Amino acid sequence: MALFIPTFSVIGFLTIYPTVRGFILSFQNYTVFNIRRIRFIGLQNYEKVINSGDFGLILWNTFLWIFFSVLFQMLLGLGLALLMRKPFKGRGIYTGFVFYPWALSGFAIGLIWRWLFDGSFGIINDILIRLGFIETGIGFFSDPTLAMLAVIIVNIWYGIPFFAIMILAALQGIPKDVYESAWMDGANPINSFFKVTLPYIRPVLVNTILLRVIWVMNFPDIIYAMTRGGPAKATEILSVYMINIVFYENNNFSKASAVGVIIISLLMVFTTFYYLISNTKKMEM
Amino acid sequence: MKKILFTTVLLCILLSSVLFSSTTLRMIQVFSSPERTKIIENIIDKFEAANPGVTVELISPPYETAVSKVNIMMSNEEPLDIVEVSDWLLSGLVSMGSLENMERYITHSEQAKYWVDGVVEAARTVDDTAYIMPNAIYVKTLFYRPDILEKYNIVGAPRSMGEMMAICQYITNGKDQYGFTYRGIDPVNFMDLVLCSFFDDIDPACMYKTASGKIIFEDSRALEGLKFYLDLYHKTSPKDSISWGFDEQVNSFVSGLTPILIQDPDTTALLNYLLTNGVYKTAPLPVGPGGKVYPTFGFGGWGIPSYSKNKDMAWKFIEFFNLPENAAYFCKQYGALPVDSRIYDQDPYFSSEVFAGWAEMFADPETYQITAYPIDNEVWGEWFRFQGDIQERLLMNRMTPEKALQEFTQFWKDAGI
Amino acid sequence: MSVRVKKAISKTLKGLALGLYLAFALAPILWIFITSIKPPEDIYTFPIKYWTQKPSFEAYRYLFGFANFSRYFRNSLFVTFFASIVSTFFALFSGYALSRFPFKGKGILMIFLFFTQMIPAYLLMIPQFQMFSSLKLTNNLFGIIIIYIGLGATFSTIMAKGFFDRIPVSMEEAALIDGCNRVGVLFRITVPLLLPGLAAIFSFSFVNNWNELFTAALFLDSDSKMTVPVALYSFISKAGIQWNVLGAGIIVALVPTMIVFFFAQKYIVAGLTQGAVKE
Repeated sequence: MALFIPTFSVIGFLTIYPTVRGFILSFQNYTVFNIRRIRFIGLQNYEKVINSGDFGLILWNTFLWIFFSVLFQMLLGLGLALLMRKPFKGRGIYTGFVFYPWALSGFAIGLIWRWLFDGSFGIINDILIRLGFIETGIGFFSDPTLAMLAVIIVNIWYGIPFFAIMILAALQGIPKDVYESAWMDGANPINSFFKVTLPYIRPVLVNTILLRVIWVMNFPDIIYAMTRGGPAKATEILSVYMINIVFYENNNFSKASAVGVIIISLLMVFTTFYYLISNTKKMEM
Repeated sequence: MKKILFTTVLLCILLSSVLFSSTTLRMIQVFSSPERTKIIENIIDKFEAANPGVTVELISPPYETAVSKVNIMMSNEEPLDIVEVSDWLLSGLVSMGSLENMERYITHSEQAKYWVDGVVEAARTVDDTAYIMPNAIYVKTLFYRPDILEKYNIVGAPRSMGEMMAICQYITNGKDQYGFTYRGIDPVNFMDLVLCSFFDDIDPACMYKTASGKIIFEDSRALEGLKFYLDLYHKTSPKDSISWGFDEQVNSFVSGLTPILIQDPDTTALLNYLLTNGVYKTAPLPVGPGGKVYPTFGFGGWGIPSYSKNKDMAWKFIEFFNLPENAAYFCKQYGALPVDSRIYDQDPYFSSEVFAGWAEMFADPETYQITAYPIDNEVWGEWFRFQGDIQERLLMNRMTPEKALQEFTQFWKDAGI
Repeated sequence: MSVRVKKAISKTLKGLALGLYLAFALAPILWIFITSIKPPEDIYTFPIKYWTQKPSFEAYRYLFGFANFSRYFRNSLFVTFFASIVSTFFALFSGYALSRFPFKGKGILMIFLFFTQMIPAYLLMIPQFQMFSSLKLTNNLFGIIIIYIGLGATFSTIMAKGFFDRIPVSMEEAALIDGCNRVGVLFRITVPLLLPGLAAIFSFSFVNNWNELFTAALFLDSDSKMTVPVALYSFISKAGIQWNVLGAGIIVALVPTMIVFFFAQKYIVAGLTQGAVKE
């Protein structure tokens, strides 16, 4: 049992205790102006957040962000893993190049892609114009839908490596003889994918997806660097909203903490439903 | 013998600890950039040389998190002796009780005699008490590209808002040439500047009130001004400028995409680096239909935390920093406007062409009335996000200008100005 | 269609797909690299320049000269290695315990671990700062190391448990019967098998710690203690972004992570499959 002590003391000290403090903060009125008269204000912060009029939009954005990012990260990651499964010349180096997005900091990624998508100075527009698909630059960041599309594309770009690595590893663990016997029974590639491959990697998929949902929910860096949540809150998700409260509302850490608590609650609800539905052995990696 | 030796050594140690007692001042800036840090460090070196035993440690957090960091550090009483306070940060820090009352330093200061008009008032913005010593002022002016305008046979800068709109519309072709460098993100100052130019009776102490005490957003002239400002976006600026910040504005101006720009003086440092001499010029802000325009008065300064243990030494540094030769060096390199009026006369930079815009504005305070913002109001921090949000909706046609002005009015009525 | 042609077509398609993806993945960093060797006036031009007539490594010289990047690089290396190694060790112990010892409430413990993953980092920052400020641990590289260990603890433990689960207990049992004690077994038998998994945990930890920005920006004050992400962030000022220098910085900052990646990726892919064969 002593083996537990290092990890759990670290978690207790650095995660649980601050979370409890943060939880308490959410019921107070801690802003820059109120430091000398902090008191409990009950659920007011939560009311302010939920009744702010934009809350529905923020929730919807959060859903879109998570759903499409994770879905396509998974699909494309799966595709990539399937393509990379059989050894080919230069696969080692290819792996390195293709997985490097994971090594970049979210903030740097947001900054770079913001430039790439720029309506006047971005190479994406430039290439589209040169190829003749459009006449003038598309203002990705002046349109709510396009802005959301842009940030999601970037998140997908970032997350594919993670899925690909996980799935590739899982794929390599499938014994060859299973395929051989399926083939001998007359299965074609598509069949064998659904009947052989998929069941084998299902546990890995299920857990990776859950993990990614949790991380993506708490990953404001890309959006913050690209749009700050704009235009007009079109790309603001809960975690970006949290940061914006700190920066733009007199460092109102109490209100930001309230949003943090809401995030945790939503994730807990989601995880519960997720496991009820997927019904697999818990936490198996 | 031993005793004597021992006592001597002891005395020496005591003496040396007294003589060479060192003080460390911790100083934090909020507009950090690698260049600015270097500039300040040069001034620090000079100060340390003149004051042996004192070291100054400069903390330079990244610009975007600097204000939050200062707030958090000061609310936890992290050791600090000199804090750079921007005008927007001021009232928050005062409410925290974190800033030392600087009245006693300022009233005895020699330099105070030479300060530009409005500086002392600025220092006293909150509670009519000086909590900071201003080190730079920021007044916006018009930047323009004569070389680009010449291509369209336009000589000189627009003198009025109407002229500016006409010129910008004329050269905008919707593809690779536009006119006005619009500011999408954090538009406070920019929107106000244009909107207020449609008035002629703004209260010099508060940008959002007329001399008769009315909130400007209720006035019909505000509607005209706002519509004009929105037209600038729709008719003369790239669509993407709805999400443009400082960086994009400068880049657009430098690339020639938009040859007209309204910005702060510290833009000059960057432009001098990116463009060769003479490629850009400054001019006074275009006046509005009322014949006036109201440039905003921004400032930054040094404050001393109330819990600092080295207040007198900190003040010594602040005074040193504001000596004409140091302040001139700082302002020129960094691009801000100095607070010491002697510098304007002494330093040739401030009569150069780059400075033309400001020179003309300062010479004519009637037409170019420099006005203060209600930064001492608690809601100021929320205001610019609020205004930014509404601007975005306006630009995307999700809100009518009439409704926007109602929102603005309500906001300030609730804030009690 | 004959099998040969089918195979050829599928191979070409496959190559095309892989190539397209490579372009998609590499494009941004190529653009940044080109930006980093452009002179400032060529960076924001209209129309866009894809190359420059005057490439130079001026930005890199500025980075390591004026901007003192090597100092930040060293700090980051120190902090990241230290935190990642300690983190991996802690994970080793707790993962082992979670995997091997059956006890009541294990499920709850796992749920608890998963729960801590859901906590947004920004929620923790202010209370953590208050704690560390009163302990006078701010502006201290060791303080940052402690926080990083905390940030990564949960995921590393979950990963470690997963790896341990795949290693058959039978080998350990055999050694125990032969007279080894638990710790000996752990290190002599299990760890060598686990090495690939450990490499995976380490490199994951490394990337996260290396790139961590907001905590470092808040907790560190002195220039001498700055880490790489904060230094890069400093190139964004009120006066805009120095893209060529920032680009150079991003490229340089990628090098350590890529090195760790390259070494680890062999292990990662091989390691994650360990024991999966038995399932």
